[in-house]
Amino acid sequence: MFLRMITASLLRRRSRMLVALLSIAIGATILSGLVTIYYDVPRQMGAQFRNYGANMILLPGDGATLTTDAAENALAVFARDQLIGAAPYRYVRLDMVLRQQSFMAAGTDFEQIQKTSPYFSVEGRYPENEREVLVGKDIADTIGVKLKSVMELTYRPTSAASLGAARDDTPTPGATLSGGAEGWNGGMVYVSVRLDGEGYIETVEVDASNQTNEIGGLCAQELFTSQFVGKKIPVTLGSDVDTIAGATMTSAAVVEAVNGASNIASVANKTSNFTVVGILDTGGDEESYVFISLEDMAALTGEAGGLDVMELSVSAAQDELEQYASAIQDLNSGVIPRLVKRVTRSETAVLSKLQALVFLVTAVVLLLTMICVSTTMMAVISERRKEIGLRKALGASDNGIRTEFLGEALLLGVLGGVLGAILGFAFAQLVSVNVFGSSITFQPLLLPVTILVSMAVTGVSCLLPIQRAVEIDPALVLKGE
Amino acid sequence: MSLLTLKNVSKIYGELKALDDVSIHVDRGEWIAIMGPSGSGKSTMMNIIGCMDKPTMGEVLMDGVDISKESSKKLTEIRRDKIGLIFQQFHMVNYLTAVENVMVSQYYHSMPEEAEALEALSRVGLRDRARHLPSQLSGGEQQRVCVARALINHPELILADEPTGNLDEANENIVLDLFSQLHEEGTTLIVVTHDTEVAKAAQRVIVLDHGRVAMETNNAHAGSAKASSFL
Repeated sequence: MFLRMITASLLRRRSRMLVALLSIAIGATILSGLVTIYYDVPRQMGAQFRNYGANMILLPGDGATLTTDAAENALAVFARDQLIGAAPYRYVRLDMVLRQQSFMAAGTDFEQIQKTSPYFSVEGRYPENEREVLVGKDIADTIGVKLKSVMELTYRPTSAASLGAARDDTPTPGATLSGGAEGWNGGMVYVSVRLDGEGYIETVEVDASNQTNEIGGLCAQELFTSQFVGKKIPVTLGSDVDTIAGATMTSAAVVEAVNGASNIASVANKTSNFTVVGILDTGGDEESYVFISLEDMAALTGEAGGLDVMELSVSAAQDELEQYASAIQDLNSGVIPRLVKRVTRSETAVLSKLQALVFLVTAVVLLLTMICVSTTMMAVISERRKEIGLRKALGASDNGIRTEFLGEALLLGVLGGVLGAILGFAFAQLVSVNVFGSSITFQPLLLPVTILVSMAVTGVSCLLPIQRAVEIDPALVLKGE
Repeated sequence: MSLLTLKNVSKIYGELKALDDVSIHVDRGEWIAIMGPSGSGKSTMMNIIGCMDKPTMGEVLMDGVDISKESSKKLTEIRRDKIGLIFQQFHMVNYLTAVENVMVSQYYHSMPEEAEALEALSRVGLRDRARHLPSQLSGGEQQRVCVARALINHPELILADEPTGNLDEANENIVLDLFSQLHEEGTTLIVVTHDTEVAKAAQRVIVLDHGRVAMETNNAHAGSAKASSFL
């Protein structure tokens, strides 16, 4: 009879109860929606943040390079679904002889780059085939290449081998050595040094075609090169060789190149033609690089070579990243993991603020729902004063009245909760799709939780109205007209 | 044998004496009518007898027990167990069917039993209207449902407040006839009314005025006989 009464009350007083149900359902909808968003925000925002580039980099220890094996071992540490991308970079200096330009080239994996650096804006497309190149905007502007231009890129093994490295062998007497060093404005200066039988310098030829013609270019002339003749490596700038006025950097580069020259000069320079398929616009340093695939770089340099750095994009919060980093450190494979702090820190800060905001809104909505349900129930009860009076006159005890109305309220709570959980998911989905541009997965646990919370909220909101109902004096409400 | 005795009962609201030293006595099985103009204290008396209010002074003995000092919880129990109430405004639960309205009374009293409730509706001639909602019933039909509801728990006392006040003559006669049947079965009836015709059906008429018993008359003819004449 109890159930029959309360279900009849809900079913046959449809319009009234619909209002109450609606207020509960709306509350439950917003609640469950917000809770869903609250728990989904880190995932959603994490994915969003991954658009801002790598949040972890792997560096080789002790100036060596990163071997493929070491990199792969390090990557094995990550949970599969958290590692969004891992872009390898190998840097090599390449020349465009005809244009007297020299610049840094990055050998990489374009598929991974698109994952770790989604913000890269490419006019044209990323290289997909052999001997295609992605050119940084700075370089493209400087040398005037456009899409579909062909770039003749040259790799000079000696220059790369000797770049900046102090020599540790004694030059073989009678040999012809090759070397190179960075001169004015990043342009390479190359030298060819011939030693006599005793190890004294016989001739020095300088290729300063990457330098300014009328200034640094003077270093290629005999005026300058003749100073080296009869000297022993290493030569000292200032005492053995005088600097060309106005071409300090080029002069120093020539001396550095001569001192660093080695006799692997027999390896020929390698040149390949690359087609420009994309111009890279990032607003950052990347614009002064050219990008080719690791395979093309291996072919051009004649060696596979290790990586200089690996950029990782990991969907994880800062503390989790730190755990990964220490796990990589524990491998002892010479790989040094580093967090990109400016990314991870701002991520953590924004996340906690966002969650606090959603939490606050949820709390306010909870309060509003309670007020709303309470008001509705108050209206329902004042509308039913006569009925309550009648029930009391018929012998309903105070607890009987409480049980009936609480029963009704809880039934409403359950219905509102079910409705709210479903609508709430739709609501969260809508917000997620519109704000974050990705969908969310349904949390099955949220259904019972929403129903329970909805019941609790309805129950608590009804306490005051129900107390009012209990206080109704049957004699007063039943009397007369 | 005495069912209800009011001894020097007064009910005072501030300055107003709604009941002023009233003493009446009702025997088991009696049919009493209480009359009086508006403000004479009829409703107050009805509330006190119906255990919905307590007197300021005096004693109210129901079945020999003084109920004037009982807690409202105890009063609720007494009302539930001993009294069947009928109102001028009928007062049905508007979202429950006729039979369910009768069952509500059973529910608070003991156990709802649909067969018994249907039987009560048959008795008031509304077996075929059992599944109708109050809004689908006429006033007379609603009041008959209320009679069925009042008698379902076999109360010792049926207390009716202007039971025919909102009814036409035909329905008034039906209700009075039901009362006389109950009277014949030995149920005690107290009917508050304005209507002299209704009062005439009772055995005894108590007239109140300004909170006092102004007159008490015994109808020479038996109430049942009078009511039967309507058949």
